[in-house]
Amino acid sequence: MTCKKKLGRNQKDTNDDMINLVDNLNREDDLKYNRRAFLKTAVGTSVALGVATIPFSVKAMLGMEKDYERVEITKLADLPEGESVVFNYPTEKDPALLVHTVNGDLKAYNSACTHLMCPVFYEKEQDVLLCPCHAGYFDVNNGHPTAGPPQRELPLIEIEVDNGIVYAVGRQYRHG
Amino acid sequence: MGKKTYWGIIIATIIINVVMLQWTVEAFLGREYDVLFTYNIISLISAGVALFSYFQWRKVEYTK
Repeated sequence: MTCKKKLGRNQKDTNDDMINLVDNLNREDDLKYNRRAFLKTAVGTSVALGVATIPFSVKAMLGMEKDYERVEITKLADLPEGESVVFNYPTEKDPALLVHTVNGDLKAYNSACTHLMCPVFYEKEQDVLLCPCHAGYFDVNNGHPTAGPPQRELPLIEIEVDNGIVYAVGRQYRHG
Repeated sequence: MGKKTYWGIIIATIIINVVMLQWTVEAFLGREYDVLFTYNIISLISAGVALFSYFQWRKVEYTK
């Protein structure tokens, strides 16, 4: 049989698809990416995820909040209904908002949005707290999110009115 | 136990640890420190189980 009469794959130095079937196999990859390596990576992932929770506990232990101080916010006479005033509580790094709602209630919350920490404002017309960054809405009566991306409520600042002066006396993170 | 059981345990620990990490972050941001420590302990136990399962699997896998 002459070479021309042979099937393509039987000819000399052919590149027929049925020849060299192992050319696409890479021995190094075969050794690197296999079932055993996958399981080892999975174990590493699991351990890494487990260890990743430790810093949160350490930070929680170091940063346990102590008793809160009584801090004057404003005079009640300076805050008519439908108005709000910005203050910082419990530290200078924690912006907060005291709202005298249109219904006459006094409400105070830390004003950093629980989504991405943008400042929250009081919208008198709708009687809501609004985060303008991503249109997050909070109920002014309890600080809970009503619309938009925020999932957690705003920390509640406990207030006291004494002789016409509004004081901040404490803070609750999870409430209502 | 068979090798497939160890595989199952290890995959299950990954699922548990992903959920625990998410819950830990949520608890941390919400200052819920008591549950945070619970999630942390569960997560570490789960990681320990994953390691133990791996060593057991290795013993079976590399035995002739």
